[in-house]
Amino acid sequence: MAGVVGFQRWVRALTRARVAGMPALLSASRAASGPSKGMLPGPYPNTPEERAAAAKKYNMRVEDYEPHPDNGEGFGDYPKLPDRSQHERDPWYSWDHPDLRRNWGEPMHWNFDMFIRNRVDTSPTVVPWHTACKHLFGFIGFMLFMFYVGEQFPAYQAVGPKQYPYNNLYLERGGDPDKQPEEVKNYEI
Amino acid sequence: MADYREAPLATRPKTLDPNEYFNLSPHFRRAEEERAALRANLKRQYQLQLNNPHRKELIEDPALTRWVYARTNPYPHFRPTNKTSLLGLLFGVVPLFVLYFTFKTDRDNREEQIKAGTLERKFKLAY
Repeated sequence: MAGVVGFQRWVRALTRARVAGMPALLSASRAASGPSKGMLPGPYPNTPEERAAAAKKYNMRVEDYEPHPDNGEGFGDYPKLPDRSQHERDPWYSWDHPDLRRNWGEPMHWNFDMFIRNRVDTSPTVVPWHTACKHLFGFIGFMLFMFYVGEQFPAYQAVGPKQYPYNNLYLERGGDPDKQPEEVKNYEI
Repeated sequence: MADYREAPLATRPKTLDPNEYFNLSPHFRRAEEERAALRANLKRQYQLQLNNPHRKELIEDPALTRWVYARTNPYPHFRPTNKTSLLGLLFGVVPLFVLYFTFKTDRDNREEQIKAGTLERKFKLAY
């Protein structure tokens, strides 16, 4: 942060009055085309007046407004809204933006783009979560265990080496046709 | 609707929340009314702009602007604490070294095997 400010001062010293192009991006003055400084998110509110001003800025009640805890993770005064996905919102209410199930001006969750209807869904599950987890991992664990047991104790039809006729295919294996081959008996009576 | 039971995959809608009917404390009711007033004000602003016949431009949503600004500018509010430094190390520094050593040892072993002629070069469908 201090490094950035020092750099800005250096840039301003170099470019003096006219700021244009790249230095304009680094200067401390912004264009007037966007919201005013008071309407944009700011630092964490410490006094009750700052809290009230922040709640008003975000269109929330002062009692409802709860900023993220101030632990240096970059949230500033952005409100901490409940982690509810847009799936959970009433599908029959006439939202201003029906696909997002959101009204104009409503404060957006920090992870709003995660909670849209194509993505993470926090609606309640058909069975409780821990039951579902137990069933799934129990089944997978059981199947893995049984396959391991099957590897250790294989069970298949007994097989023996293949038996060939004609004295173990004497002639086909290049045996001398004049010589009498030794008798090979592949059976027992 | 007093005996409404929500479907397995749905949460209870706000209009059927028992608090709306049975919680008669003026504190709760006033809170709900204040929230409704805020919502109605926003709705009014939006509808005025939406139905304005002389409007030629897009309706700008300040909540969206604030969200985008907050998400893209966390740096002024960043402070190096134990947790943030640890996370920075874990995600930024450690993978660099771990991946370097993993790939280096793997490739060195592969090179050794090729030189010794022990590498099994099977037919690979994908590459």
